[in-house]
Amino acid sequence: MPLDTSTYNLALLRVDGRRWNELRQQKGQLGVQPSADGSAYLEMGNTKIQCIISGPNERDLSKSTSSASTAPTSNGAGATVAVSIMIAPFATVDRKRRGRNDKRLQEMQTTIASGLAATVQGQSYGPRSTIHISLNVLSQDGSLLACLINAASLALVDAGVPMTDYLVACTAGSTSSYAAADEEADPLLDLNTQEEQELPFLTLATLGATDKVVAMVCESRVQLTRLEGMMATAADGCKGVRDFLDGVVRDKGELMVQEGAIGRGEVVSSMDLD
Amino acid sequence: MSSTSQHLLLSPAELAYLHGSLSLITPGPIRPDGRSPTQFRPLTAETGILPGTNGSARICFADGTEAVVGVKAEVEKTPLSPYEFVASTEGRKDHTQKKSGSRKSKKATGDEEDISMDVDEEAAGANDKIRGSPDWVELSVEIPGLRDDDSGTVFLTSMLTEALLADGEFVKKLWINRRFHWKLYLDIILISPPLSYPLPLLSLTTHLALLATRLPRLKSEADEDPMFDDDWAAATFLYPRQDTSAKASNKSSKPSSAAAAPASRPPITLLVMAVGDNIIFDPSKEELAVADSAVAVSVAEGPASESESEPEPESIPATTTKRNLQLLSVRTIDPPSRLTPPGVPNSVNAAAWGTMTAATPTTTTAATASATEGGAAKHPDARVTETEDVVGVWKAPRGGAKFGMLGAMVAKVLEREAASPRSQGAG
Repeated sequence: MPLDTSTYNLALLRVDGRRWNELRQQKGQLGVQPSADGSAYLEMGNTKIQCIISGPNERDLSKSTSSASTAPTSNGAGATVAVSIMIAPFATVDRKRRGRNDKRLQEMQTTIASGLAATVQGQSYGPRSTIHISLNVLSQDGSLLACLINAASLALVDAGVPMTDYLVACTAGSTSSYAAADEEADPLLDLNTQEEQELPFLTLATLGATDKVVAMVCESRVQLTRLEGMMATAADGCKGVRDFLDGVVRDKGELMVQEGAIGRGEVVSSMDLD
Repeated sequence: MSSTSQHLLLSPAELAYLHGSLSLITPGPIRPDGRSPTQFRPLTAETGILPGTNGSARICFADGTEAVVGVKAEVEKTPLSPYEFVASTEGRKDHTQKKSGSRKSKKATGDEEDISMDVDEEAAGANDKIRGSPDWVELSVEIPGLRDDDSGTVFLTSMLTEALLADGEFVKKLWINRRFHWKLYLDIILISPPLSYPLPLLSLTTHLALLATRLPRLKSEADEDPMFDDDWAAATFLYPRQDTSAKASNKSSKPSSAAAAPASRPPITLLVMAVGDNIIFDPSKEELAVADSAVAVSVAEGPASESESEPEPESIPATTTKRNLQLLSVRTIDPPSRLTPPGVPNSVNAAAWGTMTAATPTTTTAATASATEGGAAKHPDARVTETEDVVGVWKAPRGGAKFGMLGAMVAKVLEREAASPRSQGAG
């Protein structure tokens, strides 16, 4: 056991000083890569992700054999979403080099691809086009899947791909892993690596601020009675993340208006920028 | 040889035009982006972006290509062979003898200069003892959309590794004591799709990351199990900064030396190409597509030689101290221009109403018969275009770089590097 979180009950403060329902500090940026069709940089705590989008392009048959996971949008009538994750060897505390065919990465790619395929309105592109989403993990400190989903969602906005809403994700855990302390167990929001290694947790992705669950991943054993609380906490966290992402996009829009890249009311007539 | 071929949508006419403007002699080459022949692409750079690494850097070129490098260090046990053990103990004996000898001389003269000599000799003795192995550095390159074992990636990796290991000085920096050493992992990631040949970008980013790399300060002594200072602020740079080293050696010589410029610098690999008689630095993708030859030149900078500046420290300004540049390696790169389709000169182009009809005074039946045999026999001009250059018609370059041109390119790299002290303390 790498860490003892039993001190939580003393002051109801977590190892990094947060309360149970607090998100970590977040930082987001749109359009960080000028040569890409869309790009975003997202930090949630010490998890740092850069997402690059190329496409929608005509499907490249030579690339379909690569390790990217794909999912068709609009029941096969729309563009395909292809996701590939690259975790930098220096992202973790101990250097670890992962192969491209890592099973866990493949699973995360599939989850993200199918989750985004539910949100992206790909029918305007046609079934022969592909949106390539490549996610680079520069630093890794918990809630990896959730951060990847949020970063991809942000980059898709930058790329101008039509979506019904942001696909946002957040993790939630439970303070104790054994059945005895069932009553005192608190749900926790947005876990870091230390907490993830010790506590049961799940990742929940919802469509924007609604409670519509798009994806849920839980790889640890958890008491069924606690699941509901964890899901509710995660859904609340998703709302917070959605507000944050929306803020990033609006800031960027405002900046573009100020810089004269777009005229006020020209493109953003339906958006309230005040 | 690596192939730098990528999809490049330029017609033979465009290639010929580009080649023509790049090989101009009198006003010098005219580059598509308006740079001078030795000018690099503008870039933005930052270092220390990832607190979880020993050193990190990110560089973004103006064309949108971006790379991130993270350096991680681990302590590793040095396997000792019996032979090595004997050799190193002998080295230590020599070292102690030298030290005592210099102490005697110091007593005899009692001069300040001797103190510095003592320091120098001690350093020299330590240098004899310090050894390094190429295994202590591991470098990996990650390029999106390419497999790890893609020939291009492997070639890039080996070129960058080769530059690092060429002079054997770099690995000596990783020496802790006789039993332990640092193992340095350099992970190079190209974030953007490879729009241009990424060698200069990756090399520059690695260079910056190594400049920013810090290792925890060693607290233990000699051959003990290594103990390090917990304080990251006390960590030492892998490439020590000049101001501290200048203070340590002699206080009087450099009053206003460059603020925190490192005494020596990591190697850097530059991409240089030749078009006609012109030498062009840091070619873009389009320029590389018309290159007659392309060469990757690795250059390292050792510490500025102290012995030269010591006799008259006041007369030599800090900015003009001689830079100690070393040529590490030269590699030819297979430019994508070899795979470009050739243009067809008007003389043999039927569509342009060239001399084709005039050159073949045969009956129509004979023409159709010979057309099946091959056009070369029928048109002497066709053979000419196969072998000779026609002005304004693009033909893929053949053969390697000329010796004279290779030498000129290397000389120009060294000259240019010596002339420009890079200001790379960005971020």
